[in-house]
Amino acid sequence: MAIGVKVMKRPAKDVSYVRATLKGMAITFKKMFEPKVTMQYPEEKSAPESERGAWSISPRWRGTHRMLTDEQGRSKCVACGLCPQICPANCIKLVPGEDEEGHRYPLIYEIDEFRCVFCGYCQEVCPEEAIHVGVHYENAEYSRDRFVYDLERLSSQTHPVSTLWDPTDPKGE
Amino acid sequence: MTPELVSVTIDGMTVQVPKGTSIIEAAKQAGVLVPHYCYHPSLPSPAVCRMCLVEVEKAPKLMPACVTTVAEGQVVHTDSEQARKARTGVLEFLLINHPLDCPICDQAGECELQDYVFQEGQAATRYGEFAKRYNPVEDFGPDVLYVANRCILCTRCVRFMEDVAGAPVLNVSERGDRAYIGIDQDQLLDHPWAGNVVDLCPVGSLISKDFLHKARAWDLDKTASVCTGCSQGCNVMLDTRDNVVVRVRPRPNLDVNRHFICDHGRMHYRWMNRGDRIEAPLVREGGRHLATDWEPALVRLAQLAARGGNTVILASGSASFESLAQLRALVGKATLTTGVQLLLADDEQPLPGVPGLALRHERAANGTGARLLGYGEDWNAAVKAASGANLVLLLDVTLTDAEAALVSGAGAVVVLGTTLAQALPAAELVLPVTNVAEESGTFINRDQRVQRYRQARTAPGMARPAWWIAAGAAGTDIGTAAEAFAAGAAMVPALAGLTYADLGLNGRLAGPPSRRADGVPA
Repeated sequence: MAIGVKVMKRPAKDVSYVRATLKGMAITFKKMFEPKVTMQYPEEKSAPESERGAWSISPRWRGTHRMLTDEQGRSKCVACGLCPQICPANCIKLVPGEDEEGHRYPLIYEIDEFRCVFCGYCQEVCPEEAIHVGVHYENAEYSRDRFVYDLERLSSQTHPVSTLWDPTDPKGE
Repeated sequence: MTPELVSVTIDGMTVQVPKGTSIIEAAKQAGVLVPHYCYHPSLPSPAVCRMCLVEVEKAPKLMPACVTTVAEGQVVHTDSEQARKARTGVLEFLLINHPLDCPICDQAGECELQDYVFQEGQAATRYGEFAKRYNPVEDFGPDVLYVANRCILCTRCVRFMEDVAGAPVLNVSERGDRAYIGIDQDQLLDHPWAGNVVDLCPVGSLISKDFLHKARAWDLDKTASVCTGCSQGCNVMLDTRDNVVVRVRPRPNLDVNRHFICDHGRMHYRWMNRGDRIEAPLVREGGRHLATDWEPALVRLAQLAARGGNTVILASGSASFESLAQLRALVGKATLTTGVQLLLADDEQPLPGVPGLALRHERAANGTGARLLGYGEDWNAAVKAASGANLVLLLDVTLTDAEAALVSGAGAVVVLGTTLAQALPAAELVLPVTNVAEESGTFINRDQRVQRYRQARTAPGMARPAWWIAAGAAGTDIGTAAEAFAAGAAMVPALAGLTYADLGLNGRLAGPPSRRADGVPA
């Protein structure tokens, strides 16, 4: 049994592709003379906050972490244990210890960036302003285990850190 | 004689309390916690902290709840505006010199200053422009550090050392805002019970060196247990972090240890975390120990036990009552010699302020339980008997080389052990058992108080409680520690009918029911 095919009978001006092609090409030519909006990543990157242009990311961006250090290059962390406690993803491992001068410091401080949900609570809760989420998005690695950041790696990051909230409008109103 | 009762109304709740009770204790019965620092139920009250001031109707001014005794018809308001204002004021004064170092303070999370300030303190200081008093950290003794800056001068430590420990080495030196806790120049805080000052300190001023920076209070899982340090059977709390016991603290039991434990018991926990554990049943085949499953191991144990003849059990004095009972039941009718390793020490170290509390020379927790089950106390005789026995069962004992040589002469040796060091090369069977932190069970202390302890960490590998192994080999249908206890209690007249439900958290005296009707010794 043959299959019945319904043949549409439309006027020639609707069926012709010439009009549609011209319409499309008109848009194409128009765009050629407009300013370009595509960012040529990775050749082009987001501008630092100081020279914020069209392609800078928000200062409140929450990316991979950074541990701040003091003047002597030691991490500011005192291993108080608030960040592993507040962390909703349970991605921070902290073992406290004591250095030669009797100061409390983290023997082990590891953040599993795969588990992290980048909520920024660790930065918010930190009494020493040590751990921060970073304004940073390039995190590619060749192996999965490289995503567990240890203290040394967290301290050696140099990217800017998040402000978490807008200083002019801290309550988000 | 029942004491005369008076009725008082505290925050709208009328309670009947014995005459002479302090308001703070009466308030506890009314379900009201009056904030306090210097008051402690096991210490005399000097009313120095002024934190527990409450409003008593018809009294001209606020009264300290810790030293004011209740009177008939008294009406007390602990949360009136006046009382609250007084407490807020006291907290403000305490915080003038208290450093803001909670992030590095070991007490954070269990600090009474933190709690009360959070509850009803002021949000901001009015003394921000003045520098805080600073004193360096002082080393008080073997396990105690004194952080003077954090001290709120409640003097609990001073009173404990003077009135309870009877070794007055601490004092309040200087005066006014320069005051601090001083220590006798020629002395150390090395009394065998001195560690209690760390628990008594409501803030992080006296801290334990052993626990320093080890864990945060909110990381710890707390398990009610019983100290295995001696036959006193002090109630303790095992604090575990990530399945590791990191601290032992006293658990209040007014009939045994009040609020204290000795330093020996406090430090007696590291072995619970040992890594060199037997993790699977080992069967001796061709001169070597081969790991096997529980089923063949239990069958082998049953075969050995069924052979009868001279049998010797050498057990640890800190083995649970359940395990000792089931092991005896397994051997059954065989000619039995038993010995318990009681680890006798030469000295007893009493705490003068609490009658009947001491670090006993019998440094094992369940000697009485073993005696009630008919275990022999003559360890050396039992070891000698082992050399000619048909079967020797070792329960969690570490033997000297000479003893091991004697025991290895037996027909068959079965080791129920925790650590690899206990696994004798000559043993026919080596079975992994749990230690006190990894099982629940009961100990019977020297006053015949039956006390339960609970599991604080997971057992390594395939380790099982010894009662489970013995019951399994005997084919007895016992699946829980409660059933094992009931079966054991049935073997001892003094414990007849006692169950886990009767024991509760504070234990119960063994003996005829009339004597233990109220659970309190005469």
